[in-house]
Amino acid sequence: MTRPVDPALTVLRDQLLRMGSLAEAILEKSLQSLFQRDLALSNEVKLDDLELDRLDIAIDDQVLRILATQAPVADDLRNVIAGKMIAADLERIGDLARNIAKSAERLATRPSIETPPRLRTLADEAQRILRRALDAFAQSDPARAALVLDDDDQVDADEDAVIRNAIEEIASRPEFTAQEVDFILIAKNLERVADHATNIAEDVILATQARNVKHAAKLGK
Amino acid sequence: MTSAKISARGLSVYYGEKQALFDVDLDIPEHRVTALIGPSGCGKSTFIRCINRMNDVIESCRVEGKIAIDGEDLYAPYVDVVALRARVGMVFQKPNPFPKSVYENVAYGPRIHGLAESRAALDEIVIRSLERAGLWGEVKDRLHDPGTSLSGGQQQRLCIARAIAVSPEVILMDEPCSALDPIATARIEELIAELRESFTIAIVTHSMQQAARVSQSTAFFHLGRVIEFGETAQIFTDPRDTKTRDYITGRFG
Repeated sequence: MTRPVDPALTVLRDQLLRMGSLAEAILEKSLQSLFQRDLALSNEVKLDDLELDRLDIAIDDQVLRILATQAPVADDLRNVIAGKMIAADLERIGDLARNIAKSAERLATRPSIETPPRLRTLADEAQRILRRALDAFAQSDPARAALVLDDDDQVDADEDAVIRNAIEEIASRPEFTAQEVDFILIAKNLERVADHATNIAEDVILATQARNVKHAAKLGK
Repeated sequence: MTSAKISARGLSVYYGEKQALFDVDLDIPEHRVTALIGPSGCGKSTFIRCINRMNDVIESCRVEGKIAIDGEDLYAPYVDVVALRARVGMVFQKPNPFPKSVYENVAYGPRIHGLAESRAALDEIVIRSLERAGLWGEVKDRLHDPGTSLSGGQQQRLCIARAIAVSPEVILMDEPCSALDPIATARIEELIAELRESFTIAIVTHSMQQAARVSQSTAFFHLGRVIEFGETAQIFTDPRDTKTRDYITGRFG
């Protein structure tokens, strides 16, 4: 039985799935532009990010329309609210990817130095966490989402290691300060990507199980 | 949650051979608005008609189990049904003012129950009831006009004034707004919010949004049983039972 709200919910879900794919693609491009010193790719990232912004606005409209005209309750309501929150996180991921691409541009115009290995690890992790969170959303699977929540710690450790290493390098090789600063920025942006991906997993749990697990570590849950 | 004003235990109701309520256990909290929702024929109106024993007027109706106000069994042999119907007021779907003046509509109940010792005291009750029902300003110059000359929304507020004039403890409302336009509906809902300070209110409604707006507790009935009862916000964000979820999200009903 198709309810009046169902087509609108399907549109919203499709918009979110598209936004998720685009966010993953943007992140991948920004990292490729970094590791391959490819300026053309970093330019594409800027255009892709605009598409993400447009989708974010379209989702705002869709959410408002559903709330105003359908008065959803229970799981429908949670899906709509969670959908809006997920869109906001994906839009931020797009911005972070653009920041990474800007760092990549700067690095490509400067003498090349070795990319810290832990930065590559951090990049892989951030991408993996995002993939898992988006899978959990696509499958409406709270168990998959819960697995994502524990991945944060490794990301934080790698970010700390990259920053520590960069600080040491700045001290010992000050002529590469600019590059090291960009490595720090990239590490911070990747840590934020992972954080937003974790938020997405939390929103999946809210939508599917009506459990709010946000800020669990800080609140001592 | 506040204490229970009305308690049903093992309440079953039959119309002849047909069973309309099955073993209902339900506590209606006092000084709250409790919404009773569910598809047509689910037993919610049958349930509230047990509270003021309106089911008595249906010959084939048989009630088993217990239903009590403040712990007193409403079907005990010593219960004065007339007095009960002053304690428990009722407002119906279609406004039904008496074929009398506005004043007489409200004065009738207190007069026959002997609640006013003088004409002045009766006037006082009428004015206060009309004020509490949010109607006084609109009818103070029309007290001797027929109740039926008022608009639909005004007639319904007159019926509410009539109910509260006899100082009930409970007010039952059976889809009180379904014959009213949105503005009249909004006024009644405002009134319900004010009245719950003084009364316990149970409202049967087909409107999910109305139930969510006006009530603090909600009971979901289905095929003569209470499927779920809880805080309204909880029911509408995370219902425990799949049937409740399916009904409120329009997957059936």
